[in-house]
Amino acid sequence: MNWVIRFLKISRNQWPWMSAGIILGVVVVAANAMLMAVSGWFIASMAVSGSSGVAFNYFFPSAGIRFLAIVRSVGRYAERLVTHEATFRNLSEMRVWLFRRFIPLAPACLERYAGGDVAGRLRADVDSLESLYVRIIAPIAVGGLSILSALLFLLWISPSSAAVMFLFLLMAGVALPWVVHYFSEVPGRKAAELSAGLRSKVTEGLQGVEELILLGAVERQAALVDALSENVIAEQGCLGRINGLSLAGSVLCAGCGVAAVLLTGSMQVIAHQTPAPNLVLLLLFSAATFEAAGLLPAALHLLPAARKSAARIFELADAPVPVPDPPVSHVTPSGGRICFTNVSASYLPGEPVLHNVSLTVPEGGRVVLSGTSGVGKSLLLEILLRFRTYEGSVTVGGVEISTISKERLMAMIAVVPQHPHLFNGTIRDNILLGNRSADEAELQQALRDSCLDLWVAGLPLGLDTAVGINGSAVSGGEARRIALARALLKDAAILLLDEPTEGLDGATERRVVSHLAARFGGAHATTLLVVSHRPACLTLGDSIVHLNNSNAPLGDK
Amino acid sequence: MTEQSEGKAGDGEQRGSSAESWLFAEARNIRLLLLFIVALAAGIGLLVVFQAHLLAAACQRVIMQGEGLSAVLPLAALLALLAVGRSLCTYLLENRSAAAAARVKLAVRSRLYRKIQALGPAGLAGEEVGPLIETVTRGVDELEPYFTRFLPQAALAAILPAMFLIVVVPAEWRSGLVLLFSAPFIPLFMILIGRGSERLHRRQWSRLARMAGHLLDLVQGLPDLIIFGAAKTEAETVARISEEYRSATMAVLRVAFLSAFTLEFFATVGTAVVAVIVGFRLLAGVLTLQEGLFVLLMAPEFYLPLRNLGLSYHARMQGVAAAERIAPLLAQPLPAGFAGTLMPPSGPPAVLFEAVSFRYGSNRGGVTSVELELPAGYITALAGESGAGKSTLARLLVGLARPESGRILINGQDLTLFQPDAWRAKLAWVPQTPFFTSGSLRENLLLGRPDADDALIAQALEAAAAAFVNDLPDGLDTVLGERGAGLSGGELKRLALARAYLCQATLVVLDEPTAGLDPDNERLVCQALERLAVGRTVLVISHRETTLLHTDHVAEMIDGRIERVVPSAVFLASRGAV
Repeated sequence: MNWVIRFLKISRNQWPWMSAGIILGVVVVAANAMLMAVSGWFIASMAVSGSSGVAFNYFFPSAGIRFLAIVRSVGRYAERLVTHEATFRNLSEMRVWLFRRFIPLAPACLERYAGGDVAGRLRADVDSLESLYVRIIAPIAVGGLSILSALLFLLWISPSSAAVMFLFLLMAGVALPWVVHYFSEVPGRKAAELSAGLRSKVTEGLQGVEELILLGAVERQAALVDALSENVIAEQGCLGRINGLSLAGSVLCAGCGVAAVLLTGSMQVIAHQTPAPNLVLLLLFSAATFEAAGLLPAALHLLPAARKSAARIFELADAPVPVPDPPVSHVTPSGGRICFTNVSASYLPGEPVLHNVSLTVPEGGRVVLSGTSGVGKSLLLEILLRFRTYEGSVTVGGVEISTISKERLMAMIAVVPQHPHLFNGTIRDNILLGNRSADEAELQQALRDSCLDLWVAGLPLGLDTAVGINGSAVSGGEARRIALARALLKDAAILLLDEPTEGLDGATERRVVSHLAARFGGAHATTLLVVSHRPACLTLGDSIVHLNNSNAPLGDK
Repeated sequence: MTEQSEGKAGDGEQRGSSAESWLFAEARNIRLLLLFIVALAAGIGLLVVFQAHLLAAACQRVIMQGEGLSAVLPLAALLALLAVGRSLCTYLLENRSAAAAARVKLAVRSRLYRKIQALGPAGLAGEEVGPLIETVTRGVDELEPYFTRFLPQAALAAILPAMFLIVVVPAEWRSGLVLLFSAPFIPLFMILIGRGSERLHRRQWSRLARMAGHLLDLVQGLPDLIIFGAAKTEAETVARISEEYRSATMAVLRVAFLSAFTLEFFATVGTAVVAVIVGFRLLAGVLTLQEGLFVLLMAPEFYLPLRNLGLSYHARMQGVAAAERIAPLLAQPLPAGFAGTLMPPSGPPAVLFEAVSFRYGSNRGGVTSVELELPAGYITALAGESGAGKSTLARLLVGLARPESGRILINGQDLTLFQPDAWRAKLAWVPQTPFFTSGSLRENLLLGRPDADDALIAQALEAAAAAFVNDLPDGLDTVLGERGAGLSGGELKRLALARAYLCQATLVVLDEPTAGLDPDNERLVCQALERLAVGRTVLVISHRETTLLHTDHVAEMIDGRIERVVPSAVFLASRGAV
């Protein structure tokens, strides 16, 4: 239950809303049960009075019935509003908390999360944590509190009925959900596994449909999909049957509970321990109380999945910062000279990629780093960005980068990373991320230098064209040039380009390279470090460094 | 970052109604099951009536007639028995609706998958695969609540209130009138709620999805935000957008919940009014407690199915939303296929494109009046900028699309005259990202020729410079992950070449076989390409000069037209790249 406490701590500002929602929930359940109980008692008393002729003050109960009816409907409306308010406030709080936690963890920790499926997993996990209050905490609290107060009320009227109800409520609210959970664990897991299998078969089949047609294998794939689908649906059917059993069980508990209260209540009435009309009150109150028990199974059912999601998220949030910021930092690098000395580093512990690499790029120098894929070129850039830890020494402007604050270091560097991310906004938004205070002339220059100007001019919405989620509305080559324009706009002392022309055709590549060469040619002060194995890019450097598997850089030109 | 616009609401409603009629049509396939479900619902209604009757009778005996426990005991036993019966019916109802949902899901998924597969190459040009996969897997699963939650509730709401009214009126017609007159308001509000919540649902869910997408977008782009010093300011954007979402949603909910409130109000006040009426009739002595209590017990039961139907609207919306994505796909007409009967030539064919034109509907690349000859047994390269129509031409050649005008001649005969399966057996096609199934390497290599033995495989691997397979600890039994996970891009390209080599194809089409490869891998692939070309006609799409070196002719495409066809050396010299 630690994770629930942790969640409650994070959302402590919303406790008033959360508890108000729960109190209103209990009020609604109580008003409903009391409405039925008082109505029953009222008509029984009226019947007794009618037949015996003993006067009965009907003014109070009939006013009470109307009052309870109004409390119930207004209370339900208020409860809905308040619980939703609490949920949305929580949601806001959780999101900001998570995002702030993630900032120092990117990218090294995030890419390991959920086996790399950050996009798929994180969304579901965050959703599950955000609905923790409305779907789990509130129903359990309302159900539990309502049952407790109902039992206390019964204890006051009829202790024996309270005892009987305690048993049946325990069965309906606690034992039944537990049994359901126990039996649905295996089919639930199987259904999830099979669904994942089905998804990957469907993905394969649809992505590779053209090849499958030409290979004459479409029908085989469709049969595989059908077979998997049948298995998935069988397991889901099994879960459905268990759910049916649980519903049937609660119907049985409620029915038998009322029958048992009929006996205990009647015994009390017959023994003159309680006025006769109280029997109807007991019966109707008990029947309504099972409504509160009905809140519990659904909430308890969601509990294990929520726990897993919370565990994943909290584990991620608690991960040690991979490259911590220095505690206090007053050093200011002077100039853009970059110097790697005997640097060793790896992506994963125990799988070294770089080994004793030394490389110097003088201030204003232009170096192209070349070599086969997987040799660690991109890792070298990520070290410079303080995304990865390293051994050895890396200095910028004569200062060891681990002693410079991240903010100050980032202010000096502009990058086109290996996999630049385009945010779901317009082309303009994405480019201006590089420098929000850039003026129109600078923006146009960046567009020209990344050869985007003609393409943008041809778009109906120009710079206000949306790039789509993950840049899905633009081609890979366009995305890379947008990232290039963004980096150029920053106009930093150091510019790092990781395969800036990947995905471009030959002609465009040559144009981009010649624009870059013109921009940074001569005595330009920017230090340029380019990673590429494309011949066209090699012309960008004053010197070319080949990084090979033994990691001894060889310089030549 | 800003978010993008939302869909038009009017459109959505139109789609919703046709999706619902599709769901009804699907429900017709399981008519018998649904009838059984309705019968069960009626059975549950009867049991409820009996339960109320027994309780009322027991109270009459104890309170009014002062009878002893022996008079109550059999009634209590009967009540417990009824509870067993009711729980049994409940189980059957759930079980049968789950079975109904399973039948629908199974049939729909099978049809949907085959349909998309059949539409695949030509029909779905321009549609992304991701959402389609989502529709076939999760989309079909989301039909379930419609059949397990909404339809049974709809059946209950249609039967039970009427049934309960019939038993209440003879007992106490005044209360019956109260129920009868409050009832018409309930369907009215149901419709209002339905309409309102439908619109609300659409808007809110798209807004929620966008907000969730926003956080995800920022998290995925965190490295970029850090690089450009924008991470801290974006945290404030997260707070602001969540806050905007909250206030906008709450403003809508305050109104939306009003209709649910009205429904609750009628149900609760209706019950209260019945209680008061019954009370005064009892005081006047014109009604027995048994009759009065029975009526009171039936009052909330009368409203309950209607309220539950209201709660199941979410399930309905989910089903309708899924159907909106599924139904149009199933309704799409299939593109006309080939229906030729001719057997293709056995040797390497000579291919001639005659004034071939094809466009993808909108302004995406196509080809216009292409005249091109692929001489038998030679490697012809297709060069040009991205979007010039190279891949389109290749797809036309392998028959994944049909020319809108013009002909493709194979040894002088129109491609459409050949028997499609026989023609495909003569083809090998290696697209930019070759297909790999999650299975063993052997399975993947045998996809095109299931009867090849290990000796043939070894020969193909050798030819395709893919002998690295032999160095893997499990050799041919090495299991690949999804989309070939576990091997590098270069290794996968060479495996795809080996598979093409293994097919007894005489025409090989390769789309960018060397894109994204480092020079070492490119050299290996090019050598494999030359070995593959022996005795085959080959078309290679590439704009990489080092790859073009290994071809005989280069056809250059510009804007969907063949600009020139020249020997490769001439082409490379003209680009100044030798």
